[in-house]
Amino acid sequence: MNDTAQLASDAGSRDPGIGLRAVRALRVLVERLEALQVENARTQGWSWQEIATLLGVTRQAVHKKYAGGRGLLRREK
Amino acid sequence: MFERFTNDARQTVTQAQEHARRLQHRHIGTEHLLLGLLGNPDTLSAQILNEHGLTLDRAETATLRALPGPDQRGGDLDADALETIGIDLAAVRERVEATFGPGALDRAPSRNHRGLLLSGRHIPFDRGAKKALELSLREAIALKSKEIRDGHILLGLLREAEGLGARVISSSGIDIATLRIELERLLAPSARRPRAS
Repeated sequence: MNDTAQLASDAGSRDPGIGLRAVRALRVLVERLEALQVENARTQGWSWQEIATLLGVTRQAVHKKYAGGRGLLRREK
Repeated sequence: MFERFTNDARQTVTQAQEHARRLQHRHIGTEHLLLGLLGNPDTLSAQILNEHGLTLDRAETATLRALPGPDQRGGDLDADALETIGIDLAAVRERVEATFGPGALDRAPSRNHRGLLLSGRHIPFDRGAKKALELSLREAIALKSKEIRDGHILLGLLREAEGLGARVISSSGIDIATLRIELERLLAPSARRPRAS
């Protein structure tokens, strides 16, 4: 068994210490990826609604998170 | 905040970001602003600092002595934990960096002064650098200048005083009080001195 497979089997050992740590690491990674992709989409002129649809969240949620919730009514296209 | 900055002053800030990125630092500090000032040799600030013996190379050496970077890559990205669920962080990083540039995944998103959440492509200013930039505006106002020039940023750096930027300047043997007086004279409205003369 190689190292990765060994670790994967560790993860399957139901040790919450390992499993929860993996969830947390994944969340940190997702937050960073999402910020890069949302910013890229906005730079390319995507609307909050288009971004929200692909992320599977509401327009308000994505706007609140990335634009600090300001100016949604005025600036949203 | 940057609306009133001259081109040279903007260049200083852009270059500060590039220095921080190149040195793999996670924030833009006053030391990077100083490097940004020195990296543009035609400016008043670079000239006056060079005349006093502080060059870009010397400032960078002093900065690296105080901050023996690079920051630990990844910050709190937990490569080992990701590996337990079969994710190879190095492979993810390679692809993300190919699109978004070096270090893009290694910085957490941060809010700018307008409350926008910015991705890790942006290197945030630390408190000292923010303070120095705010003070540069006040220095410009005090000297009755409508625009913020690189010299005002240098004055802001000196006024901020606690950051590594100011410490690098004083540890190079420059007397801060003398430097201030010279700068204020050169930036005074009456000086009418074309820049970079």
